[in-house]
Amino acid sequence: MAVSSSDDRGAREQILANVRSAVKKIAPRKQVAVARPIFSAIEEDLVARFRTEAAANYIEVMLTENTNETADTLRKIVESLPAGEVFMQDTSELRAMAATATGERVVQWSSDSGPPEASQAAVSRCEALVAMTGSIMVSSGNCGGRGASVVAPCHIVIASSDQLLPDLESAMARAREIAFDNSFVGLITGCSRTSDIEKLLVIGAHGPRQVVVILQASS
Amino acid sequence: MSDAVQQFHDRAQAKVDDVSHRKKIRWAIDTYEKAVLRGRARFADWEAARQRCYEIRWEAINHLDRYLEQFEENVSKRGGKVFWAADAEQACTYVAKLAEARGVKSIVKSKSMVCEEIHLNSVLESKGFKVWETDLGEYIVQLRKEPPYHIVTPAMHLSRADIAELFRKEIPEDVKGETHEELVAAARRALRRAFFSAEMGISGANFLVAETGMIALSTNEGNGRLCTSIPRIHVVVTGIEKIIARTQDLAVLWPVLAAAGTGQNLTAYSTLIGGPRSNREIDGPEEFHVVLLDNGRSKLLADTEQRDLLQCIRCGACLNACPVYRNIGGHAYATTYQGPIGSALTPNLRGLAEFQHLSYASSLCGNCSSVCPVKIDIAEHLLQNRRNAVNQGQRPRAEEIGMRLWRWTMMDERRFAIIGTMAKIVVRTFGALATYPLKPWSRKRELPEMPKASFRQMWRKHGRQQQR
Amino acid sequence: MTKLVTLFVPCFVDQLTPQVAMDMAAVLQRVGYDLHYPEEQTCCGQPAFNAGFWGEARQVAERFVRVFRSAEMVVCPSGSCTALVRHSYPELLAKTAMQDDALDLGKRVFEFSEFLVDVAGVTDVGACFPRSVTYHDSCHLLRELHIKEQPRKLLRNVRGLNFIEMNASEECCGFGGVFSVKFPEISGAMGDVKADNIVASGAEYITACDPSCLMQIDGILRRREAPIRTIHLSSILANTEGSTVS
Repeated sequence: MAVSSSDDRGAREQILANVRSAVKKIAPRKQVAVARPIFSAIEEDLVARFRTEAAANYIEVMLTENTNETADTLRKIVESLPAGEVFMQDTSELRAMAATATGERVVQWSSDSGPPEASQAAVSRCEALVAMTGSIMVSSGNCGGRGASVVAPCHIVIASSDQLLPDLESAMARAREIAFDNSFVGLITGCSRTSDIEKLLVIGAHGPRQVVVILQASS
Repeated sequence: MSDAVQQFHDRAQAKVDDVSHRKKIRWAIDTYEKAVLRGRARFADWEAARQRCYEIRWEAINHLDRYLEQFEENVSKRGGKVFWAADAEQACTYVAKLAEARGVKSIVKSKSMVCEEIHLNSVLESKGFKVWETDLGEYIVQLRKEPPYHIVTPAMHLSRADIAELFRKEIPEDVKGETHEELVAAARRALRRAFFSAEMGISGANFLVAETGMIALSTNEGNGRLCTSIPRIHVVVTGIEKIIARTQDLAVLWPVLAAAGTGQNLTAYSTLIGGPRSNREIDGPEEFHVVLLDNGRSKLLADTEQRDLLQCIRCGACLNACPVYRNIGGHAYATTYQGPIGSALTPNLRGLAEFQHLSYASSLCGNCSSVCPVKIDIAEHLLQNRRNAVNQGQRPRAEEIGMRLWRWTMMDERRFAIIGTMAKIVVRTFGALATYPLKPWSRKRELPEMPKASFRQMWRKHGRQQQR
Repeated sequence: MTKLVTLFVPCFVDQLTPQVAMDMAAVLQRVGYDLHYPEEQTCCGQPAFNAGFWGEARQVAERFVRVFRSAEMVVCPSGSCTALVRHSYPELLAKTAMQDDALDLGKRVFEFSEFLVDVAGVTDVGACFPRSVTYHDSCHLLRELHIKEQPRKLLRNVRGLNFIEMNASEECCGFGGVFSVKFPEISGAMGDVKADNIVASGAEYITACDPSCLMQIDGILRRREAPIRTIHLSSILANTEGSTVS
């Protein structure tokens, strides 16, 4: 969509003129020398840290050694779900796993459309995992689209351990790299939840109430 | 006293008298405080985090022109549209016209205080659009037809029983039980139909990233994700002050916002959205609009002393820290933004004459300033608002005269001693029957005893021998 | 180092709670200081400052700076008044002829507990107070002067004193100066919460470094007819073996 003409942009000139004139005067700035780092360095093994953090936010992490184990783990998870379609990101690895993993279920592939409203699970890859916070980084371009991580009540992520980033600094650097190739980049840090009723935590609001990461060791 | 101020007093009085209300708020805030302590402990140095967030927001606000233009350019490159709204009317008109032009019938909304500020829902509803608030707390207060109680926890003032009763009345077919989980599930069922049928999704933005032309959204429920993924049009309504320079800034801002707002390490969904879906993407909106709202912000920006109020990241920490808020709650303020930040900001955005009373309704305890994750000295700004009200001649004449009398008294120690003695005699004689200045005190408290001698008298008698 | 201390007695202490200043003087003498009380003093200007009447506050502040200009060490039994001089005078008197004097005075003004512990280097003043006591952290004392441990150190060294930390000791008592009569419903509610926490602590006495907070707390406790007494820190410290504990 092309950029529209200036009167279509509303009060742009007026507002920008006000802002420009305002910031000609710089406001005082609090200078405080800060020597200590904001976050502690990640001392432990990244996989271990990721598992601990993810578990605290109710994300299940399952470690596998190879593709066969991954496919088998996926199959077990899908079998435990109520009857219904499964949405899968269309990649060669997931195509290969689909037959064993999904059995009789109908599979909706991302190459055809986004996840149907009634799908029981969405299976996708991810852009990265973040050890410090137990987060999953997804994007609209490489992880089955925007809906994959939020429509179905169960989101299953197929990841490999070489996708682990240590902390948020490295995660946001990666987000910046992929920002212009994707209209959506997100960090998922737990199942959907709410504390809006009496500040009591309830897992599973509008998004998935089950999030599983199948973390395959990289060779 | 003006009507607005009297009404504020009436509401405050009603709220402090409502013991069950105070209990609910106290419960919510105690829960919050425990969570925040855990949240802050995740940082090696919370003070360093505050300083960094201050610097990030200071840089953005003090170079707002540059970053706004960069943001707009990048949004446009992605195929999005930026609309600059000088005021609430322009913003609402744009959204309504767009909805009309695109044949929109129903709209799903994720939480946005800016939308509250411009009363967008009532404008859209008056034009026949069905608007669904999808954040659970917002959905609840929408059903109750009342404004949000708190900028982060809109239904903080309601108990589970209150909400169960509400849902049984409004969405009976979706209610299958009354536990917390079942009520959340009921809302999920009701709102899911809305997500999948709405033509337009409206969201706010926590930050606007100039470097990439993306908005940053921090949510927990997933409603924000659904609003911005399923409907074919996504409209962002946001204030011009939400700008940050770089994606990298979020590496500190996101965890700090989560810690101060809810005590989490990150909200469940920390999202960046830039533009409509690209050609190679399989889903997502076809249109992306960002409505940048001024509505008094550029004027506040010009005030270098109060400018840093615009650095606020809307975490809600100051509300929870404020002993006034804890006792009167959010609705008593009757403004979009409540608590300390609201009391400091509203007079600057909406007018000192009408809203100065909020800056006086504070003991200046400073707890807000000490918890603010972007180091805004909110208590200082309340004081500055008071000074500005005085300098603009907006205080009652009686108060001006009183202050002049006070100064006259304090400029001479003999005057002060005589007047002090006289005043004590009056109070001792008339006690609680004494004039107006004392009634407000003695309604709830005993008056202090009036000693017979002052310190200077006692010192002259007993203490002077010791001094050099 | 000089052993002469100049007494800064806030206006309302002078008129309403003079014993607080007498007790502070007694303790300062006991630990070896000579005292000077400039009779010309009236007020630091806080009421006008907090109400936004900075023109009037400035005049009274300038007078204050002149009265105390040659004092080497100034000690005050009120956190909020000390905080005004140290923390707010530089801003109030910025760009005036008294700006440098104000900045300098700020370095020489001390709240009483801060003076004893940080300047005099004393935490045991030989006091005796065989009662259970809880402590309220006054807002300006805590957040502007960053005084938190000093009163506690002093209280813990008082013979026979059983120190009890109350719940939410740092929450505002609700006084806030003119706020207490401008918004009495809110001030009263905040005072109620503070009183509840004080009663819940089980202590016989509640103390603080700010007589204004104690006035608010006392007003509420006496209205409730609660059996807890308010007492300023200086009065506890002035109490020695053999004195009657009222």
